[in-house]
Amino acid sequence: MSMAAATDATERSEQSEWETLLREEALLRVIGLRVEYRTERAVSKALNGVDLVIHKGESLGLVGETGAGKTTTALSILNLLAQDIAFLKEGYIEFDGKDVYKMSISELRAMRGGKISMIFQNPLTALNPVFTVGEQIALVLRIHKGMRNNEAMKRAGELLEMVGIPAYRIKEYPFQFSGGMRQRVGIAAGLACNPQLLIADEPTTALDVTIQAQILELMRELQKEYAASLLMITHNLGIISELCQRVAVMYAGRIIEYGLAEDVFASPKHPYTVGLLGALPALEGPWQPLAAIPGVIADAQNLPDGCAFHPRCDNCKPECRTEQPLMAHLGNRHFVACFQNGED
Amino acid sequence: MDTKTTISRMLHSYFFVIGLICLIFIIISCYILPYWIPWEPLENSLLDKSLPPEFFRNGLSGHILGTDTLGRDVLIRLLIGGQYSFRLAFISVVLQAILGTVLGMLSGYFGGQVDSIIMRACDAIMAMPSLVLAIAIMAIFGPSTQNLIFVLTVSGWVQLCKIIRNNVRVVKQQEFVLASGILGASGFHIMFKQIFPNVTTNIIIITSQRMGFVILMEASLSFLNLGIPVPAPSWGNMIAAGRQYLVTQPWLIMAPGIALMLAVLAFNFLGDGIRDVLDTKRKV
Amino acid sequence: MAEINGIHAEEREPLVQAKNLKKYFTVPRKGLLHAVDDVSLTIYPGETLGLVGESGCGKTTVGNVIMKIHPKTEGSIDYRGKDIFTEWTDKLELCKKMQMIFQDPYSSLNPKSTVLGILSEAFVIHKFGRKREITEKVKEICDLVSFPHNLLNRYPHELDGGMRQVVGIARALSLEADFIVCDEPVSSLDVSVQARIINLMMELQNKLGLSYLFISHDLSVVRHISKRIAIMYLGQIVETADTADIFANAMHPYSIALLSAIPRVKTASKISRIVLKGDVPSPLNPKPGCRFAPRCWMAKKDCMDTNQELTEVEPGHLVFCKYAAESQRIAKEEQTARTQ
Repeated sequence: MSMAAATDATERSEQSEWETLLREEALLRVIGLRVEYRTERAVSKALNGVDLVIHKGESLGLVGETGAGKTTTALSILNLLAQDIAFLKEGYIEFDGKDVYKMSISELRAMRGGKISMIFQNPLTALNPVFTVGEQIALVLRIHKGMRNNEAMKRAGELLEMVGIPAYRIKEYPFQFSGGMRQRVGIAAGLACNPQLLIADEPTTALDVTIQAQILELMRELQKEYAASLLMITHNLGIISELCQRVAVMYAGRIIEYGLAEDVFASPKHPYTVGLLGALPALEGPWQPLAAIPGVIADAQNLPDGCAFHPRCDNCKPECRTEQPLMAHLGNRHFVACFQNGED
Repeated sequence: MDTKTTISRMLHSYFFVIGLICLIFIIISCYILPYWIPWEPLENSLLDKSLPPEFFRNGLSGHILGTDTLGRDVLIRLLIGGQYSFRLAFISVVLQAILGTVLGMLSGYFGGQVDSIIMRACDAIMAMPSLVLAIAIMAIFGPSTQNLIFVLTVSGWVQLCKIIRNNVRVVKQQEFVLASGILGASGFHIMFKQIFPNVTTNIIIITSQRMGFVILMEASLSFLNLGIPVPAPSWGNMIAAGRQYLVTQPWLIMAPGIALMLAVLAFNFLGDGIRDVLDTKRKV
Repeated sequence: MAEINGIHAEEREPLVQAKNLKKYFTVPRKGLLHAVDDVSLTIYPGETLGLVGESGCGKTTVGNVIMKIHPKTEGSIDYRGKDIFTEWTDKLELCKKMQMIFQDPYSSLNPKSTVLGILSEAFVIHKFGRKREITEKVKEICDLVSFPHNLLNRYPHELDGGMRQVVGIARALSLEADFIVCDEPVSSLDVSVQARIINLMMELQNKLGLSYLFISHDLSVVRHISKRIAIMYLGQIVETADTADIFANAMHPYSIALLSAIPRVKTASKISRIVLKGDVPSPLNPKPGCRFAPRCWMAKKDCMDTNQELTEVEPGHLVFCKYAAESQRIAKEEQTARTQ
């Protein structure tokens, strides 16, 4: 829970470039985060040393498959892990210069929803069915901005207009909205307090393609207007490629590749990223066979030694089986956690 | 769930462990202890009437829990009465399980008219207080063991039926049921090979919880002289007979009362415990 | 009707053919839900037809009606030239010809049954023989889909999503069916697993000459696996063509918008995105006129009240829009403007 872990890592050298990046002035800094879920039967290691930085105004895409630890990372940032089963083993999360795990309850409350807000995957369950959407947005404003009711309702109407919903609908209940509209309401509520960081957890996965296009368009516009930082969590590489400047690829609870979205997608270096892109059917160009990644996603209850990806890697070397690769710099702030640096 | 996790869950559930220990104790007492007791449940001796409990002062050959007003040994009556109660409850619960499961499955699987008819029948039975129903039936047909089982079963299958019905409706929606139909399976095959294994957990949980209830119900009816006909020993009969001597000979009521409480608690604990063990979503 | 799915001159016997299929559901107090409205499809032996659309467009209902899960309202479905509702009277016989793969590999396998039990079911129903023979048969199928024999005694929850879907595929193949309806078979899987399942399905198609009706919302997957594509909107097919044709020359305004809406990795060519306004309207009691018109980006006045017709603009390319040529021209112009 301190910088100690990080300093140790520096002494191991090599990682210096990555260390420098982590030590930069940033809005959000996550260092060496380890989280375990303990159930009666087993311990699953959800996060195994996640390092992440988000600068002011930057949009970062966090991509990975089921069980990679994307949502756990988001919940840890908000200090919202389920306390009875999730345990923060190690790590340090700093938001706006303050350690999230040393904040007082009132500071935490101010942070959640005020400075960081979250958009969820399922817009139906994220809204309370017994209050009108106006009341729900106004509630956020009343709590965080201390607005009076009338004022808050007026602002809620403005926010709805901004996300493309006519203001008169503030008196309607969530069930009267369609999936895409609900997600717009979720975004409006998320933006109500001008947050510094917006975390979007698979915001369009439950939506149809044409509706997804609307939401992405909206998010792109709002991002320009608000200049808030964005942490976009998704399994859809296309969304990240369109919406995010930087991308971090997660596998088995670690960041295995980080860089500018163009760099990573144009020349992926980690064999997992390469595999992920190869497994994606193309929308243009000639027909190509899909290159599926052999094996199954690493089991968090039984992680392999060394690089968690080595059992599925074609280019596995002896050191991959025993040692965890550190983040190596490839230039232009493109980092990869692989001993081969992605070369054959 | 494999055997190892099942056992581990069993040991982790306090309800299950306590319930099981109590139950084993009661069953061993009722079925094995009588061999060592020199008295018969109906053997009366006016010389020994209304003896207070002497506990183990004279070993097993004394009247450990005393005697009643006819000089019958309370302990042996208690144990044999327990046997009656268990046998009765067991038969009734098995019948309830069969009736509830079959009707619940039919109702949930076919829906429509079948569902309406069965569900309205359930509503009708649920609307009647089961004790009143029991009194009515026993009053018409007269008290006998068969009638008692009939009464207990008729008033008891509804809960299981409703739960199984809802359960089946949920399972029926799942795609594996559809897949089975596409492979050409008949309705019978789908119901018993595909859906039934998915509702067994609920059947076990509910029937085990009902045991305690049925024992209590039987005692209530016997207490009202609508249960097992006297002079056969049963806990309800014993409490009824001891009621008049509550002040002078409290052991006549204490013994069957405590036994009843222990048995019902054991079954309820066990029922909760089984639910803890089998319901994988529940943390033990 | 032979040209409806674009087969011209070439005389091939269709394997499955749906003609003017309609399926209406009665919704109490609300009216008729036009889930499928006049849909015609043809699937040839050894080919895959991709049926694409957004949720609620009726694509799953088409699959379900073909599999006789729902009764049809109108129209006909032929398997090898014989109507499945009237002429294929032996239900068990038809089961051996047409099978289905489901979307959710969690709910499509009985959680209380082992893999062996799940795969034996077909043989038990069809009274194939004794237990040992059935087990042998199951093992043969496992070899076919390369499912390891040592996992046969596992329960579905002990397998990962990909392996479960392999079991689902094996079950569909157990009776040696040659036509398989695949209802979103990969949409609940992760990308790397999805690729493996798609590869397996294509490999099996080559090996066994299977025909698929591949229902999906994911155009990139459909492009990869299908020879022809039909795009559905609100119960109607708005465009049918060869896969390459759809991607190169989509003509219906909805198809164009749908294609442009998919988020792409590595955009080599800049796409001009057409963002459709509003949501998919309800298929309850639809009004006459083009159903897409209220959301259409180039709707004309008369679109609202006149019915569209499915017209063949090129051999094998059918579009359900009067202004198809115009919409294609506009889209192309915008595209070139964007690239310059």
